Amino acid sequence: MRRNLKKPMAAVSLLAVTGLVLAGCGDSVNEEAAPETATSEETTATEETTESTESTETVADCGDWAVAMHGWVGYTASAQVVTDVAREALGCTIEQTQLEEAAVSYDAMEAGSIDLIIEDWGGGRWQEWVDRGAIQEVGTNGNIGLIGMFVPQWMADEYPDITDGTNLNKYADLFTSPETGDKGAWYEGPPGYTTIGEKLIEANDLNFQVVSTGSEAALIELFTQASENKTAALGYFYEPQNFLAQVPLARVNFPASDWASPEEASGLTDYPETPLMKLATTTLLDSGSPFATLVTNFTWTNADQNAVAADIEGGMTPDEAAQKWIDANKDTVNMWLEGTGASIS
Amino acid sequence: MKVWAEEHVPEILRRKWVAIVGLIVVWFALARFLKGVHTLDLGNSQDTPTTEFLGEVASGIRGARAENPIFVYVLNPFRQAIEIFIDAIRSVISDPAPGAVIPIIGWLGVLAIIGLIVFATSNWRMALVAMALVFSCGVLGMWTYAMDTLALTMGAVFLSLAIAMPLGVWAGLNDRVMSFLRPILDLAQITPTLVYLAPLALVFLIGVAASTIATMIYSIPIGIRITAYAIRNLQKGPLEAADSMGSTRWQKLRKVQLPMAKRTIILGVNQTTLAALSFVVIAALIGAPGLGEPVIRALSIRNIGDGVTAGLAVVLLAIMLDRSTTAAVVRSDQIPPTGQALLYRRVSLAVAGIVTVLAIMLSRQQLWAAVFPASLDFRDEIGGWVDSFTEWFTTTFYFLTTSFNEVFTLNILNPIEYLLADAPWYLTIIMISLLAAIIGGRSVAILSAVLLLLIVWIGLWNDTMITLTQVLIATSIVMLIGVILGVAAGRSSKVEQVLKPFLDAGQTLPAFVYLVPVLALFGPTRFAAIVCGVFYASPIVVRIIADGVRGVPKEMVESAISSGSSTSQVVMKVQLPASRKSLLLGMNQGLIFVLAVVVIGGLVGAGGLGYLVLQGASKPELQGKGLAAGLAIVILGIVMDRIAHASSKRS
Repeated sequence: MRRNLKKPMAAVSLLAVTGLVLAGCGDSVNEEAAPETATSEETTATEETTESTESTETVADCGDWAVAMHGWVGYTASAQVVTDVAREALGCTIEQTQLEEAAVSYDAMEAGSIDLIIEDWGGGRWQEWVDRGAIQEVGTNGNIGLIGMFVPQWMADEYPDITDGTNLNKYADLFTSPETGDKGAWYEGPPGYTTIGEKLIEANDLNFQVVSTGSEAALIELFTQASENKTAALGYFYEPQNFLAQVPLARVNFPASDWASPEEASGLTDYPETPLMKLATTTLLDSGSPFATLVTNFTWTNADQNAVAADIEGGMTPDEAAQKWIDANKDTVNMWLEGTGASIS
Repeated sequence: MKVWAEEHVPEILRRKWVAIVGLIVVWFALARFLKGVHTLDLGNSQDTPTTEFLGEVASGIRGARAENPIFVYVLNPFRQAIEIFIDAIRSVISDPAPGAVIPIIGWLGVLAIIGLIVFATSNWRMALVAMALVFSCGVLGMWTYAMDTLALTMGAVFLSLAIAMPLGVWAGLNDRVMSFLRPILDLAQITPTLVYLAPLALVFLIGVAASTIATMIYSIPIGIRITAYAIRNLQKGPLEAADSMGSTRWQKLRKVQLPMAKRTIILGVNQTTLAALSFVVIAALIGAPGLGEPVIRALSIRNIGDGVTAGLAVVLLAIMLDRSTTAAVVRSDQIPPTGQALLYRRVSLAVAGIVTVLAIMLSRQQLWAAVFPASLDFRDEIGGWVDSFTEWFTTTFYFLTTSFNEVFTLNILNPIEYLLADAPWYLTIIMISLLAAIIGGRSVAILSAVLLLLIVWIGLWNDTMITLTQVLIATSIVMLIGVILGVAAGRSSKVEQVLKPFLDAGQTLPAFVYLVPVLALFGPTRFAAIVCGVFYASPIVVRIIADGVRGVPKEMVESAISSGSSTSQVVMKVQLPASRKSLLLGMNQGLIFVLAVVVIGGLVGAGGLGYLVLQGASKPELQGKGLAAGLAIVILGIVMDRIAHASSKRS
């Protein structure tokens, strides 16, 4: 029995080896076909490198870098635009790596497997890593994050004073659910997001109970259903987020914010406006690569991000959506490229 | 009913039921009286001394990574070695070298090699099926992702088997090794995969190596267990013969035990492979390349179509790997061909080998054979269909599902959660321990009490009880489905034929794929999380119960029918009681599988421990709490597993 199994396996491996040896003589696809496939959808970064370095000869060698990809559309939009500009104008080899935000990503940066986070909401949670020297803040990416509690627009139309947070108790009955019994349901943000929900409820003595939604997808489904079916919902949401353009939500306001880090929040005041930050590795910033210059220069508005995000949600691939925006905003892109010697036309 | 119980349930068991019901009534009364007292409810951002301590440990590990000798000389080189190994495999089939367009072998060559290997280990029919399945991954527009997944799976399986086989053989031969390994294997099987991703990423970071190591941790125990089982359960006769002929231990192992155990060992390869495949998808969370990427990206940009398409590719790969290893088992049972047949087989193998070599050469020289042709890629179309179907399904059934959700939550979920989580912690611990004592005996009761006290000490009592509620309910539903479908499939091979593809798909489809539709139907609720658990755990339980029912001796069933029993009588009085062992095994597996998706439930509104694990993974300041929550899930698993185990032993 053993002989029986062994023979075919030996034959297979022998043949496989001869196959590779024979085939090794002619590896013509990689040598000849590269320009041909560069137009196909599955283009890899490396092909674009060969293509674009020809056109921008003065640009310094960009090198290989990895960009973190986090799980929300706005992030995808920003990261894809930076990636595409770096690949096409600077000839960089950019790898996109999907991974969890915060600790996991900072660890990856410290270990050198990720070089850039293009949008981070967590004011200062990276301090421990910055102190160890591997990560640096590269300033804001131009987007302003604004977190808050929202209700579907129909509720604001029907109960105009609901947008004042101090009136929430008056309407608590509308929000009761099987999840929260006789209290109103207060749908919180995804696990990684900055929140002071529990503090707001406690400090304002609101007759509400926190429900953990768990993901952005959950919040979006919640508000979509509440708007379509005219049911009540009070939930955490944020700008920039293209969803607000599709399904209008009304913000429930609390007094203007007086805190910067959630630990200091009293719970009486609202969320502050948060400039979203870029984080990069010291390795990247000290490398002298034109990619470091692009990353430092990169800044765009909430409207820009929403435009790209809308196209992605509308069915374009992130790459197509980013290309569309780049083609329409060449001046902005060229401003980012200042100091690299490259430009797009 | 009562008469039936008197006739068929042994006296002792009936007394047991009375005690259990009585206990629950008392429990309800006390819980009502003491509602909301000492529930140990902890705010979301609050820490306890234990969780704070774990947070410090995590930071410590982080600080140590660069200099600590264990990292510098052991862990980091280990990680790098694995990375080099896996990247080598990827460079052959999935990942082009820098500057290249295609990997070393293009799609046609890969397809031919798969066909050749399957042909050599089983038969040509299976080889065609395997090639068709892998080809379909390309049609789904997932070729490169599928190859990455295949490369990672193969690499992880190879490394896993290299460790699991020798350990398994050793444990099979030596009782002391077995009793040393058993608790570790039990623990590895109970621990949900998503729980150890975060701690692993802390030590091995993210990427190919970390995901391979995580996959190995998941699949090695399965390999060890089955190999040891294979060696242990051999017939005594041939072994004694070998002894009496004066064979050395090595000769006996090589010439008698291993060949005899071969069939079961290949089954172990099969199970290890499937485990590795299912894990490789999850490992995308810590940066594994492959089909997990589109699955998880689809969740974040709510592109259901793409997620399902990628999920389907996972299912196809799983079916391919499962069927071809199973076919290898069948072949290993057959008498080896001789004479004419042997010659015929050798010639056909040689022909297949030559064709494969040609295909490899083509795939390196012709573009159409190197890069999967875009004209055969129907990803967008398939994604579009899935999207519109999901849209139609969720809008049509939304009101039905939400009202069902409401009724269920108010009448079943809330009362049970009230019992477990809203009562004082000491009451819950006493009552669970008493239940354990009735069901499983004194030692299990003590173990449960100690472990539950450990959870109190960790400080996540209330969250644990919220999770326990959902796990218990999900498992009950799973058992209900398991018994109904399992009996149907066990009794009729037609039903089984119809169910089989669904069970295959259900067992291998990554849980992330159905999150968005479940959210659309049930909103972010605890019930949505229960639905996810039921989806995930039902297929395996249906399989186990169907297997048990089928295993009931035919004579028993026939004598029942001939004595005039109706179909329902046959099921209730003969088939179910006779497959008790499978029912208990099914319940145990159901619990473990439901527990495995507790963290995924956290993504759709489950709250409790699952949410805390997710939170710990992304909020550095709450990292310790996330690790503690993972620990609590494991402890919960041990408690339930031990109680279930003890009850099956007792009865």
